[in-house]
Amino acid sequence: MTRRALALFAGFALAAACADVIAPSRGGSLRYDWRLIVPYDSLGPREDTLSFHWPRSRLPVTFWVENQHGMPSRIRAGIAAWEKVFLYGEWSGTLIADSTRADVIVLTTVPPPQTLPSAGRLQGNPFAALCDGATDVDTAATRFQLALPIRLYVHPVDISIPGTSDCLDRVAAHEVGHALGIFRHSADTLDLMYSFPQVSAPSRRDQATAENAYHFRAEMVPVGP
Amino acid sequence: MHRPVLTLTVLALASAPLAAQVRYSAMLSVGGGTVLLSDRIFQDIELEQKRFAAFTLGASLPVAPRDLLGIEVGLGAGGTRVFEEGVGRAEGPSYRTLTATLGYEGPVVWRLRYRASAGVLKYLPDKEGVFRQGGPAALLLGAAAEYRMPFGPGLDLFGRLQYDFHRFFTRELEDRGFGRSQDVHRLALGLGIGYTRP
Repeated sequence: MTRRALALFAGFALAAACADVIAPSRGGSLRYDWRLIVPYDSLGPREDTLSFHWPRSRLPVTFWVENQHGMPSRIRAGIAAWEKVFLYGEWSGTLIADSTRADVIVLTTVPPPQTLPSAGRLQGNPFAALCDGATDVDTAATRFQLALPIRLYVHPVDISIPGTSDCLDRVAAHEVGHALGIFRHSADTLDLMYSFPQVSAPSRRDQATAENAYHFRAEMVPVGP
Repeated sequence: MHRPVLTLTVLALASAPLAAQVRYSAMLSVGGGTVLLSDRIFQDIELEQKRFAAFTLGASLPVAPRDLLGIEVGLGAGGTRVFEEGVGRAEGPSYRTLTATLGYEGPVVWRLRYRASAGVLKYLPDKEGVFRQGGPAALLLGAAAEYRMPFGPGLDLFGRLQYDFHRFFTRELEDRGFGRSQDVHRLALGLGIGYTRP
């Protein structure tokens, strides 16, 4: 009996030799810049580059979605796709029925002309054949605040044209990417955050970029409902 | 590798002549453990374990006058905290585990017994994050001290202090290019009930 127990413990001791997991790199060319370029004018026209991510206390981010063109299910799929990129539950989103309490409002119309001087628009391809999207972010009175709600626009050129549904799926997921804090476009066509998305799910680079955004100090804080 | 051993044990436990000598047990335990994962994105990140709870069912039979060989199967659940240097702690994803161990137990002194075990632990697929795709079956090695107190015909109550060790890794980590696995040490305190046909 004692020998068996000793043998077990010996095996145990051998197996318990220390080892730590080795984390992969998420820097360099594995990511693109996600930060918002904010123009401001305190001592003449200038630009600032600011990072944003949703604080844990504001999760899940609430989305109100206009019920048109199957948009709620497209946005829900986009949220699910982005939630998957995070290892530690850094971001999550959910749809709600009350637009007055939403952090993000999704409309299925062409975005209106911009009126607010502090608002920035992340625009897709203006020559889109099937569908298009845009995200308006308002950096409010001070560029260190992000006024809520963020407004997303995802709209078809003509819903009857074949391929429009897939296009809406891609653009919806792309705009959700903006809503979570990736405020720039990737230059790589294989990334979901390419200005005119060709893929429907976040790539490795999208994933690394989102992870970087959520572990980089946020200079902007969300203010609003 | 573990399946034939477990199958043989189950068959042995189920055979009629031995059935009368089989001791069955059920145990609830709570415990904690060391860091599951160390990562770095701008700053160091650690995925810490919060308390976990487990429910374990066991069956064992005598292999010597006072020694038993048995199997235990357990279902566990726990939470995590994410510690980020310079940022603080936040809630992390939760997890569920399935364990199966083969253990050898014997007396130490009076009502105190030891149990040495080896088996497998598997992190089950969960809805989010690092546990989303679950993990491969990891070798689980354990040692426990158990205090057993008879209280009725064939019945006993027991308390167990259990230590175990496994190497943590998940399929999600593998997909993302993480290398090697993380040593995880856990300590748990359990309360259970045992039954042997009188």
